[in-house]
Amino acid sequence: MTTRPGAWSLRAPSPLPGWGLSLGITLTLLSLVVLLPIGALLIRAAGIGPAELWATISSPRVLAALVLSFRAALVAALFNLVFGLALAWVLVRYEFPGRRLIDAAVDLPFALPTAVAGIALTALYAPNGALGGPIQDWFGVRVAYTELGIWIALVFVGLPFVVRTVQPVIAEIEKEVEEVSATLGASRLTTWRRVILPMLTPALLTGFALALARAVGEYGSVIFIAGNLPFQTEIAPLLIVIRLEEFDYDGAVAIAVAMLAISFVLLLLINLIQVWSRRHTAGA
Amino acid sequence: MHIEIDEIAKTFGSANALHPVSLALPSGALVALLGPSGSGKTTLLRILGGLEEPTSGRVLFDGQDATGLRVQERRAGFVFQHYALFRHMTVFENIAYGLRARPRATRPPNAEITRRVTRLLDLIQLPDIAARYPSQLSGGQRQRVALARALAIEPRMLLLDEPFGALDAKVRKELRQGLRDIHDTTGLTTVFVTHDQEEAMELADLVVVMSMGRIEQMGKPADIKARPLTPFVREFLAA
Amino acid sequence: MADMTVSAPLATAPARPRARAVGCTEEPRWLRWTVTLVVLALLALLVVVPLASVFVEALRDGAAVAVASLSDPDAWSAIRLTLLVAAVAVPLNALFGVAAAWALTKFHWRGKAWLLTLIDLPFSVSPVVAGLCIVLLFGTNSLLGGWLVGNGLPIVFAVPGIVLATMFITFPFVARELVPLMTEQGKAEEEAALTLGASGWRMFWTVTLPNIRWALLYGVLLCNARAMGEFGAVAVVSGKIRGETATMPIMIEMLYNEYMSVAAFSMAALLTLLALVTLTLKSLLEWRYADQLAASGRH
Repeated sequence: MTTRPGAWSLRAPSPLPGWGLSLGITLTLLSLVVLLPIGALLIRAAGIGPAELWATISSPRVLAALVLSFRAALVAALFNLVFGLALAWVLVRYEFPGRRLIDAAVDLPFALPTAVAGIALTALYAPNGALGGPIQDWFGVRVAYTELGIWIALVFVGLPFVVRTVQPVIAEIEKEVEEVSATLGASRLTTWRRVILPMLTPALLTGFALALARAVGEYGSVIFIAGNLPFQTEIAPLLIVIRLEEFDYDGAVAIAVAMLAISFVLLLLINLIQVWSRRHTAGA
Repeated sequence: MHIEIDEIAKTFGSANALHPVSLALPSGALVALLGPSGSGKTTLLRILGGLEEPTSGRVLFDGQDATGLRVQERRAGFVFQHYALFRHMTVFENIAYGLRARPRATRPPNAEITRRVTRLLDLIQLPDIAARYPSQLSGGQRQRVALARALAIEPRMLLLDEPFGALDAKVRKELRQGLRDIHDTTGLTTVFVTHDQEEAMELADLVVVMSMGRIEQMGKPADIKARPLTPFVREFLAA
Repeated sequence: MADMTVSAPLATAPARPRARAVGCTEEPRWLRWTVTLVVLALLALLVVVPLASVFVEALRDGAAVAVASLSDPDAWSAIRLTLLVAAVAVPLNALFGVAAAWALTKFHWRGKAWLLTLIDLPFSVSPVVAGLCIVLLFGTNSLLGGWLVGNGLPIVFAVPGIVLATMFITFPFVARELVPLMTEQGKAEEEAALTLGASGWRMFWTVTLPNIRWALLYGVLLCNARAMGEFGAVAVVSGKIRGETATMPIMIEMLYNEYMSVAAFSMAALLTLLALVTLTLKSLLEWRYADQLAASGRH
């Protein structure tokens, strides 16, 4: 490995054409749409300086908003972890009428615009809504305009991620593996705990991280149902919008940098899970 | 066509796929490149076809330097290991592809294309499958269609990468004879890659035994069997 | 759950399976039913009922009122703008997706893994942050934005900014569908086309594109659904000028905040119908061409 002749060229030679052209288009659009704008944010943040950024981020209202965004996203992603696994299992393994329709319905939160989801959930779960009214009467719990409302909106937007990452893996589990487990004397619960869940873990973690990443930054479906009270139900993306409307660009940039940092960490996490699971399954 | 390989070497990153190798293949010969996986035989075949660029060395076709010739200009009929049939096209369109891809000036008229495809389907003894898709064919049929597709461009040579690799034993025997017949009919210089020494010995006029990117021995099958030159060849033939 | 754990510890259990041969890979019947019912009930409460409520709210005062609210000039302008933005952003993203997938799957080169990660980046960036980034780069206060405005091409608070924001959010969709499929397909067919004398473009149009068409269409559908519904990023860059830069989702917000519930839900119902059409097409594609679509399962 000490001498690597030819390894200094960027690309292994190939008879196929179009590498330069396709990479050129890719990098041009990627730069224009994604990299330069994010760069502009980072440059602006560098201009503000770390002390000032930290002062803004650690101010009580901003901190409360960031903590709320992350906490609600975590709760929703955890709920989706369990709910998504159960739903994926039911869709793959159980026969019941209308299964295909239900399967298609799983993608609804993905296809439905977030603003539509937001007003629909709000109308439904508001104190005078079709579901919000009875829930308040029977259980004494308010849904809309509380953190519970935010949880519901985030469960809604995150639902497809766990289902759609776990579903193909469940479909690929060979029944023989479960049969072997049973012939070795394992109960169904033991088979689940020792055989099935470990096989699903990488996909579950990936789906969980994707749902979490999506929920932390979610805006459209949340702002209608949240009530948006500072320190209580004001999410971080909303606070960015508020700062912008006040023309407090530095304030908006500081919150955005904090959120971007969370995004990067989650993206890194997703990549690590996938690298780990690839190694994990390759060894099997 | 006479093919000459002059000090061809190929490296992939840090790995030497081919040490400088030289080889002269007489016109009209049926040549087997024989060796275990990783011996560099497929790399050599792909260099002949213009699919890989050699790190150094030259390839000569009928004495003319063809090293820099683009893959499209080589007119090498190439049969891929898993045939690489175009899955969205019928057998007819697969075979006609190379003719239709020609520039307008040299492209045959449609009637001529139909005539040639029909003739090729007769040659591979599958006259009735023109309208089928690759997914509807057996492995042996796919291999023969790939052969017909390669022949359609009126190639100057025929290059086949493990042409029988993906087939079961019975079909393999049949198609060996088929390749021999087609070679004898067309008279094309034909090079095929195989790891099966029985196949190489039975089918080829000339066998090139390769190992670790080097040529161990080259000669007529009977000569190689009678007088293996290196311990590797002896062991490989015994296996 | 109690009766699932009755078997003795594994090591000492007699080598005689307790479960019936048929049932050993299934959960007990009562559990199956309970899980199925709970899951479906939750799905109904979270997804199906809200969907239905969009139409119920829109039609509260009758279909005529709903339709009338959509024929308002500002509503019309929002509908046209949304379609325009999708018509520009989606083809550009399709071009990007095909180009990126080609560069990523047919060649070996340094930095591939980096590019793949960068393409995924918009998945995890908040739409609001994305919008802010675009404002910072192209806003009138920035160097580039000021110059563009001076030359009569304002980006922020104008249509180009909305297109950019939409592209940012939907950026990975097409590439994400194509990369796994094209990796799996390899490059032998393209190489075969070249050995048969085809030029690069001919190879692309006659071999590559037909092989990826269904996955491409699938990616375009996903991209389109998100493009027409994008809210957060557009809310930041558009300036929400009614009749000019208000897209359908922005109009929904404005109408809703003005307590014009029927108008808001009518617009929402229209957008929902578009989403349902997309979803139906997507499901049809999945059922018919399951084998030709990559089982990527990621959005």
